[in-house]
Amino acid sequence: MKGYLGEFEELVLLTIANLGKEAYGLGLIRDINERTSRNLSMGAMHSTLTRLEEKGFITSFLGEPTNERGGRRKRYFELTSTGINALHDMKSLRDELWANTKVKLSL
Amino acid sequence: MKNQQHPVPPRWARKSLEWWAGTADTEDLLGDLEEDFLYNLAEKGKLKAQLIYLRQVASLAFSYSLKKRKKNSAYSHYYSGNSLTMIRNYFKIAVRNFSKQKLFTSINIVGLALGMSVCLLALSISVSILQSDSFHDKKDRIYQVNTHMIDKDDNVVYGSTFPAVGNYMEEKYPFIETALHIHTGFLATVNHNNNLLDFHGYFVDPEFFDVFSFELTQGDPSSALATPNTIVLTESVAAKLFREADPMGQLLETETGTYTVTGIMPDPKQTHLYFEVLTSELTYIQQRGQTNRVTEWQEYRGHYLYLLLQPGTSPEALELALGQTSQKAGEYNAERSIALESVGLGEAVPRWNISNAIGIGWDYPSMLFFLFIGLIILLPAIFNYTNLSISRALKRAKEIGIRKVVGAEKGQIQMQFIVETIVITLLALAGSILIFIPLQNEFLTIVAAAEVLDTSLRPLLLIIFILFGLLIGVVAGLFPAIYFSRLSPIHSLKGGYQGGGLRSVSISGIRKGLFVFQFGLSLFFVIGVATMAKQYRHVFSRSHGFSSEQVLTIPFYGQNKEVAIEALAAHPDVSSVTAASHLPGIAIYNQAEVTPNGRDTIIVAEVFVGSNFIENMEMELVWGSSLALENSTINEESVVVNEQFLRSVSVFPRSADTLTFVHADGTHARIAGVLKDLHYEPLSTEIRPMVFRHSLQNSNFVMLGIHSNDVPKTIGELEAIWAGIDQKIPFEATFLDSEIERAYLFLTVQIKIFSFLGALAITISCLGLLGMVSYATENRTKEIAIRKIMGASVSDIYLILTRDFVKLICYSALLAIPISYFFYDRLFLYMLIRYGTGVGLGEVVLSVVFLFLIGFLFIFWQTSKVAQTNPATNLRYE
Repeated sequence: MKGYLGEFEELVLLTIANLGKEAYGLGLIRDINERTSRNLSMGAMHSTLTRLEEKGFITSFLGEPTNERGGRRKRYFELTSTGINALHDMKSLRDELWANTKVKLSL
Repeated sequence: MKNQQHPVPPRWARKSLEWWAGTADTEDLLGDLEEDFLYNLAEKGKLKAQLIYLRQVASLAFSYSLKKRKKNSAYSHYYSGNSLTMIRNYFKIAVRNFSKQKLFTSINIVGLALGMSVCLLALSISVSILQSDSFHDKKDRIYQVNTHMIDKDDNVVYGSTFPAVGNYMEEKYPFIETALHIHTGFLATVNHNNNLLDFHGYFVDPEFFDVFSFELTQGDPSSALATPNTIVLTESVAAKLFREADPMGQLLETETGTYTVTGIMPDPKQTHLYFEVLTSELTYIQQRGQTNRVTEWQEYRGHYLYLLLQPGTSPEALELALGQTSQKAGEYNAERSIALESVGLGEAVPRWNISNAIGIGWDYPSMLFFLFIGLIILLPAIFNYTNLSISRALKRAKEIGIRKVVGAEKGQIQMQFIVETIVITLLALAGSILIFIPLQNEFLTIVAAAEVLDTSLRPLLLIIFILFGLLIGVVAGLFPAIYFSRLSPIHSLKGGYQGGGLRSVSISGIRKGLFVFQFGLSLFFVIGVATMAKQYRHVFSRSHGFSSEQVLTIPFYGQNKEVAIEALAAHPDVSSVTAASHLPGIAIYNQAEVTPNGRDTIIVAEVFVGSNFIENMEMELVWGSSLALENSTINEESVVVNEQFLRSVSVFPRSADTLTFVHADGTHARIAGVLKDLHYEPLSTEIRPMVFRHSLQNSNFVMLGIHSNDVPKTIGELEAIWAGIDQKIPFEATFLDSEIERAYLFLTVQIKIFSFLGALAITISCLGLLGMVSYATENRTKEIAIRKIMGASVSDIYLILTRDFVKLICYSALLAIPISYFFYDRLFLYMLIRYGTGVGLGEVVLSVVFLFLIGFLFIFWQTSKVAQTNPATNLRYE
């Protein structure tokens, strides 16, 4: 299995996939905060995004200027094929582990 | 569009984030921040929204994300910081500039190297002092006991303490592992090959080598000083006394007894103790005899105590114990209040204020003073650099203009100049270290006991030197850097700068001040040297109040003095004979106490003299007769005193007979004559009350008045007479004149130091002058050529070129003369030679003329180049 994916990193990648065309910094924070009832700081989120970009799991591009945000552009993120592969690897590992459990896991 | 109606996030937070991010792209981050703020504003209210905003800004500021973005942007063209590549480029430009401007570069390197050399010496000494005693294994557990004594006159901390304290504390407090006593004042005078050699040292407890980590190269450290009359020699002493032979177990005959050599140790280095030999504490007890309990608790001078504590003892316990011991000491010292204090071994030197310190007693004031002197010499060199750099502005304005147009920012221009300066200072540092090595050797010979300091070039010292060089580089480069970074590219490129250039080339404002300071300082030192030389001459020309010409002195070594005197007097060339315990003109180190009224005592210098001393030395009596000196009765001894003695005793109430007093040994004395105050001691010491007693037995020197046409022959004959009395005793005749000259060795040392500093200051200022003149004239080449074509004569040209500089030199003289007069006349000479002549007009004039000559020489040399050349060639210049 190539490249270790952290729990939070996996979460961010999946959220990017979920948000689709609307995946930008603050949007991601809000979404994750809602779903997991965390209180993420911007620093933490952007650091993770930067690292993911470094690893080649996502790419980013600047959007069009809008009237909100003082006319500033948003930076949108999308998954690369490496990122999708990493998610698949992670999922298959999980599935394998779930499938082979010796203890009853169903609730 | 206007959306100023609703609240906005705190502006300063956004601004500071932007500042922190530098050129990194933060558009999306700021956008996220603002969007979040507006959202929170609607949801949670203004205050909460602002707080969240601040928290988010902080989290971003320290985030990896921002760090990464900054790093990325560092390699973009918009980054204004300094990367390694840029510094490499600055370095390259600096080297190219140096090779283009050889005169400028060499002047600065030489100037800075000279200037830094004294600083390096001061630094190396300071480092060495601060590192004192860091080599002892148990240094953290060793404490020196100090005595803080307050009585009605004084409030003084002494480095020494009462001898009784050590034993008292060692018995009473179990946490004290060892109480180590050290008594100073051990003097071993050894007769070695007919030369009397003095070795100074300490009486120490046997545990000395256990407490301190001094090592013995030979001998057993635990038993070396366990018995009386044992002695440990340092290697240099052993080499002096025994050369190749094995010194161990040898017997050492001294004036205070015979000692067995039980150990050899390397010369002590990097420690606050200073000794050549060590003997045992038991020797001390044997020599002094049993002292009583009371004086053990009262006498404190020269007794030192070091406590080695058990591991893990808290400093508070020691404080408490010292407090209790202070109370005990107070019982014996009712009239003064005593507080014992402890000082860790590491802090024993340097100290701010301590009396009677053991060893050399390095202190902060003298250390800082020395550093200050170093800086005073360095400052002119730094000024030179600043001065010359700025006067090069014309040459480099274009370069800077182009840099700016291409996109260099202020910071980059500044960095470029600072890098350039640092390169110069580091080159100068290398030169300075070359000067430092001989300078340090010279210093070690001048300053007493300096050999204890380890000033050799260690890695630590080298690192400090390099840091120092970098610091100087930044300091020297800062001003030119700021100056150049402010140049407007438009002006410098259009040549507009050149238009106004004349103003900047002619020396102005701050640079004038620097120049005046440099020459003032040089003049200050030159006047110092001249004054000192005058004192030196004065010392020998001034009448000390006695005749020292043609007086031959020979030290006695235990032969029959009367026989010797009689035999010598028989020689036809000897016109007079007498004897004395101390030679006139030379400092008297021992002192005696006398009691004028049975109660009060005064301290006097006591001199024992032979017959006819006062007549032979041509000393002037104001009252009484010198012959009376020999008319002592059984009850009363006749003595001669000086006027100072009478003044000193006059403050005490006395009985009717004011001419009597009592010596410390109980002898009653009657004053039979009063000498006019004379300088029996060197002129640097104040005239003390003196008592002359008649005693041939206590005299140490025979003094012969010689009238001879062939002095060497006479001396040879006298030596034969001397040898005839006792073969074994050496004949060491010297003339009193040369003995006195030796007593003023300190003056020679001062002259040496001032000459050296003066030479440095003058060289540096002249280098500066040379640079300034050469650039000023170079920049006016065209002007001069036109003037010549228009009909100006060579002398006119000289006048035009030199006027500015001559004016400045005059200002510096006006400034320096009153300051040096005040400093030398009122302060320095007063401390150095109390009975000197002060600063004379002649010296000042001479110094000024000297400096002017040197200055003019440099100006003339440079201006000749321009003034004498063919104007046609000069017009083609540029």
